[in-house]
Amino acid sequence: MSLFTRILFVLLGLFITLNWGLIMSGIIRKIIARLSMRRGIKVVQPYINLIKNFSIRSQLTHGVMFYLGPVFRLSGGVGVFLFMPMIYGSIYWTNFSFTGDLILISYFLFFGMLGMALGAGEGGHPYSAIGIGRGLAQFTAIEVPMTLAIISIAIQYNSLSITEIVAAQQGGIMNWTMVTNPFATIAAMLAFLGMMGHSPFNVVMAPQENPIGPPTEYHGTFLGVLQTNRAILHVVEAVLFMNLFFGGATNWGILILKTFLIYFYTVFVGMVFPRFRVDQSIPWFFKIPLVFGILAIVLLII
Amino acid sequence: MVNPIYIVAVLLGTAFLLGLFRKKGTGIIALVALAFPVFVSASWFFHFLSGNTEVLNFFTAGAKPPFSINLQLGIEEALFTMVINVLGFLGYTYLYRDFKEQGIKSTVLFLILIMGLNVLIMSRDIFNLFVFLEIVSIAIAGLIYLKRGADTAIAGFKYLIALGVISTFLLIGIAFFYLFSGTLNIDDFLNSNLPAVKGMSMAVFLILMAILLELKPFPANGWALDVYQAAHPGISAMISSGTATASIFLLYKLLPLSSIDWLPYISIIGAITFIGSNLLGIAQKDSNRLLGYSSVGQIGLMLIIIGMAPQLGEHFNLIFLTVFISHFLAKAGLFWISGIIKKDNIRQWSVLRKNKLLLFMFGFFLLTLLGFPPFPSFYGKWQLIMELAHGSQFIWLALILAGSFFEGMYLIRWFGFAMKEKDESEEKLTIHWEKMIPPVIFTVFVMGASYFANNSSDYGHTLNLIPIYFVIALFLLDFLPAFVKNSLVIASMIIYSILLYPDISDDTLRLVFAGIFMIGGVLTLFAGYSVKGKREGFFPFVVMMYAGLIGLIEAENLFQFFFAWEIMTLGSYFLILRGKKSIKHAFNYMLFSLGGAYLIFIGFALSYFGQDSLDLSIISATTLPGWTYTLLAIGFLTKTAAIGLHIWLPGAHAEAESDVSPMVSGILLKAGAFGLILLFLLMGAEQSEQHSLLYILGWLGAITAVGGNLLAVFQEDAKRLLAYSSVGNLGYILFALAFMTNVGWLTAITYSINHFLFKTLLFLAIGGVVMRVKTHNMYEMGGLIKKMPWSFIAVLIGIITLAGIPPLAGYGGKWLFYNAVLTKGWYFQGALIFFSGTIAFLYAFKLIYSVFLGQPKDKFRNVKEAPIWYLIPQFILMIGIMVFSARPDLILKPIGTMLSQSNYFPTDPLNWEDVTATTNLGYWSGYKIMIVIGVMFVVLLGWLMIMSRKAQKIKQFNIVYAGERPFTPGTTHFSHNMFSNYYKAIGFLSWPVATGFWNGVNLFTHNVADNIRRIYSGNGQTYIVHIMIYTIVIYLLMF
Amino acid sequence: MKLFEIEYISLIAGFILLIVGLWGIISQRNIIKMIISFSILDTSVHLLLVAVGYIRNRTAPIIDSSVNKLNAANEITDPLPQALVLTAIVIGVGITALLLTYALKLFRQNSSLEINQYKSLKW
Repeated sequence: MSLFTRILFVLLGLFITLNWGLIMSGIIRKIIARLSMRRGIKVVQPYINLIKNFSIRSQLTHGVMFYLGPVFRLSGGVGVFLFMPMIYGSIYWTNFSFTGDLILISYFLFFGMLGMALGAGEGGHPYSAIGIGRGLAQFTAIEVPMTLAIISIAIQYNSLSITEIVAAQQGGIMNWTMVTNPFATIAAMLAFLGMMGHSPFNVVMAPQENPIGPPTEYHGTFLGVLQTNRAILHVVEAVLFMNLFFGGATNWGILILKTFLIYFYTVFVGMVFPRFRVDQSIPWFFKIPLVFGILAIVLLII
Repeated sequence: MVNPIYIVAVLLGTAFLLGLFRKKGTGIIALVALAFPVFVSASWFFHFLSGNTEVLNFFTAGAKPPFSINLQLGIEEALFTMVINVLGFLGYTYLYRDFKEQGIKSTVLFLILIMGLNVLIMSRDIFNLFVFLEIVSIAIAGLIYLKRGADTAIAGFKYLIALGVISTFLLIGIAFFYLFSGTLNIDDFLNSNLPAVKGMSMAVFLILMAILLELKPFPANGWALDVYQAAHPGISAMISSGTATASIFLLYKLLPLSSIDWLPYISIIGAITFIGSNLLGIAQKDSNRLLGYSSVGQIGLMLIIIGMAPQLGEHFNLIFLTVFISHFLAKAGLFWISGIIKKDNIRQWSVLRKNKLLLFMFGFFLLTLLGFPPFPSFYGKWQLIMELAHGSQFIWLALILAGSFFEGMYLIRWFGFAMKEKDESEEKLTIHWEKMIPPVIFTVFVMGASYFANNSSDYGHTLNLIPIYFVIALFLLDFLPAFVKNSLVIASMIIYSILLYPDISDDTLRLVFAGIFMIGGVLTLFAGYSVKGKREGFFPFVVMMYAGLIGLIEAENLFQFFFAWEIMTLGSYFLILRGKKSIKHAFNYMLFSLGGAYLIFIGFALSYFGQDSLDLSIISATTLPGWTYTLLAIGFLTKTAAIGLHIWLPGAHAEAESDVSPMVSGILLKAGAFGLILLFLLMGAEQSEQHSLLYILGWLGAITAVGGNLLAVFQEDAKRLLAYSSVGNLGYILFALAFMTNVGWLTAITYSINHFLFKTLLFLAIGGVVMRVKTHNMYEMGGLIKKMPWSFIAVLIGIITLAGIPPLAGYGGKWLFYNAVLTKGWYFQGALIFFSGTIAFLYAFKLIYSVFLGQPKDKFRNVKEAPIWYLIPQFILMIGIMVFSARPDLILKPIGTMLSQSNYFPTDPLNWEDVTATTNLGYWSGYKIMIVIGVMFVVLLGWLMIMSRKAQKIKQFNIVYAGERPFTPGTTHFSHNMFSNYYKAIGFLSWPVATGFWNGVNLFTHNVADNIRRIYSGNGQTYIVHIMIYTIVIYLLMF
Repeated sequence: MKLFEIEYISLIAGFILLIVGLWGIISQRNIIKMIISFSILDTSVHLLLVAVGYIRNRTAPIIDSSVNKLNAANEITDPLPQALVLTAIVIGVGITALLLTYALKLFRQNSSLEINQYKSLKW
């Protein structure tokens, strides 16, 4: 396949992902609203928001880094997409996953976070910095069960290549990591709750006392870029977990179904549990998720 | 040749005749009279040195013994009389002015003293020795009162009473010696082969015991310490260097009298004295008394060496003479300096800074005492430790190094006070020129002695001394402006690197570290161009440090390695000490370095056990692998600041000057890493018995990584944050090295290179910022991105690399880490490492946000960008990071090949397909990742630029702030205690346990020293009781 | 009885004096008394030296009318210890004199001769 064709397919995949991300977030918000006995937004509301933001005329910037922040953020999201094999068994939807493996993706997730943190930092708003501080602090704790889970599946499949990990899970639900390595799955899915930033781990954005956290100062086009990224990133992160634990996807339909369920799970938990403070959430990750993470490895090596 | 009897005649005659001259010209006459013996003994010494071996025996009154006194002059006597006469001449020069004020009586006493010391060395008649011992005592007792006062008087009284009791022992001994042997002549006795009788050994016991007591053994030496403290320092110099020399020679001369073997007891007495005295020195504040403690300690060391003479064999001369001459020259020099500045408390020695020459000599003499290379006693101590190890005297070896460590503790602390303590004295330092001459000459003598020691040492010729000469040259050129010296140093380092390259080009591992040391050195020196003026006392030590570092690379035997290690330690200590508030931190650094160096020393000695060469390879063949490897590893870990041994690092790196911090953090720490690499290579991959050591080191590395990074998170001081981050990063390196696998080592190398690149970059950038804003506290800064955009870019690139975010090189390290951890199976340690990696984000963000982003402060509205000389090396380093990120294969491929081919780690290598690295787990293509991310970033940036082309810049406080418009940047900048919630959650992990532990150790040592030294109650009678109990105890031990 | 021979008497007297002197030095608080004790100690050693050199039934090693010059070596005691004692006495005098000088200096400066009042130099 020539580079040109590959780029075309990548762009197409990106387009699908973006749209699915927007629709998914609309659906989810609708569901949340109904659960809260509200009527809720339209399913297409995310599109409307996006268009509105991109067409706002007043555009203010605090400086170069503030400007670059959203670029970093979107690069992070798109980059993770680029390095992620989306559909198993298809040469068209593997993107640029040949350049790096699972480790690349798990570290490239930070690229956007960092840029966002810096851009928001230059905004000079203390809420931004407070939000980032909380986010980073919580993230260190989330990363512990996540790392243990990744190590566990790397031992299990003796590979760090996502494609190979998905390949090993083909042939029915009994081959999924969820079944073959339940502890790693539990540890990772608990970490996933933190990664997605829904309640009980949404103190970063903390709508009440810390209005929307890091992106406080962003508006208009910049906010549009951030929303674009969020739509892409949510899908891609769900795809990562799908690939690692739930057998991957062999076509877009299965991908959409599985990512929806994975994403919905975090929302569902968020609806049930109230918010943690940072100094509560960190010890929480060091309890049950950590134990499961350790069990996942211990059971594999004994 | 002049008969040495004229020494006695001239000195005695002059002393008598001086009375006739009264005032005028007595000083000059005395000087001439004192010059005469120098000439006589020196001519004899060189006579013997040039090959004549016939010992001169001569007699008084023209008759043979027993009717006359038999004197002897061989090469030993010639040497010792020569040094004493030189001391006499210079000592008199030094006291010239004081003597002139006192009239001729003191001059007469001084002449008698020198005469007495000469005879003590030459005489072969025991009773004669007694007589001259008494003469010397009387002369000294008289001279003590040169400085008037009740303190001096009581010190003199105690001295006389104590020596009176001691000489009673001696005289009784002599009486019974004569009763049983019928002779007083040493040679007659030795030739007569008398049968051993019980009474005889008792007589000899008394004689030798008296001589030993004259040597002021701990703890029966209170009388001597009081004299050191109270007397004029010029006289203390004579006692410490002069009489001690004569007494120790006396002991050496009289030892053969005994029929039982005294040597082990001499060693034990010496060891107790060496350790006890140096331990008590730790609690001492009075400078002259401290010198007294040190003096006694050094004599203890000499006693140990004398006692060990049979084991040391042919090396005895070198060992003894180097230790002796170091003590002799340095102690006299230090007492002389003490007399010039007239300060009692060691804290007040900061007055030395008023005179550069004095300060230089002070440091010079201290280092001579401590036995740092290239000073003479370094060669002696090395040989001593090696020989002890060869003879499996391991306990002695440990004792000697323990005593040396105690000595180091107070000497280094003292030096720190001199360099850094606030100088409160208002008055000008008055220096008489004639008081400066003797210490200057002794400084030159130390250099000469170093030269000779180097030449006579077995391995001295293997050393590369060119850098040392360059250091000396730089000291002499210190008057030049800084930029000239800086250019000179940079040029020399470049030339040296070019010359060195062919030698190490086939050893990629060494090449990498040589690159870090030399390229890093040149880059960090660039920053020095921004310093105006002369920058005195900077460049010699920079060169010293880099000479040491490159010496480690070049070292082919243990001696060279240790030499380089010590040179490097010394240079870096002085560099760190230059910081404004670094007195305590430099002290800690040196203590840990010294301790670490001694552990390495013992490790080397142990590997020498049972071997004949000193080649590096003997470490792999060591017969005591457990001890050797553990000690060496701990020794190197003090340099890499593994957790528990890290407490020196943050302060030392943070308080150093702006351009020194990158040197000591980015570059110097790699010395420890290189040491570990060398050690592990020599340990060999296949030796399974090292598994537990490596396993422990692995955990230690992981814990260090977490601890270092966590501590960095809670810092408010930007440089301290970076320093703790170094602790964490060195933990990664240690962890990766402990894998002992192919990929593990590649990880360690990658981390070493990365850490060098980004930490040097960050320290330079932050150093530039600190230079402008004059504070280390991040919360006082803020919003500097607009003032210092270039520094911001540097820090940005630095933290991206640090955090391991793709596409920069840090990610390569993380990827390799995962592979290495999975291959090795150290999953939980690995998880700790990755956890610490995420902690790194916290401080990386805090660093860049608090300094460059957020709200600019009013007082920094007008700061400028960092100096261009700081920016140039930063950009070179950034280019380095970019190149290493895109093409890691350029460095990692050859090292990988070397590791797999050379039998170290042949299995599970990293495979390279073009620019993509693969293992059997995963794959990584730095080059392609770089391209993908680069293209994407540019495209998205372009898109945003089109979308928001009309964006307006707005003012600082135009932010959404709940309806309020903030106006004080100080309260709007969220920085201080940024991670308070994190501290609430896991802050307990950062409690200063190690600091508490070491403080406890320190306090304990101080308390022990402080309590033991209370045996010196100050009461003269107690001291007599000490002497008697001591004698009885030794008697009971021996019989 | 052998024990009452002159050399044993002087030997024993010497040792007794030795102990008296040492005891005096460490027990007497007054500096002058310490110096006197030191003199006793000194004398005790001289006594010992002479006792060691004594040969029974011989005369002092002075060549005068009581000694046959030709047979002197067999008629006099060992001359060496006696010469040594002379020297030792001289030295003892010197040291005692110096000690007294210091005592004088101390008394002039602090008007006290109690040794335990001079403890400023310690530790």
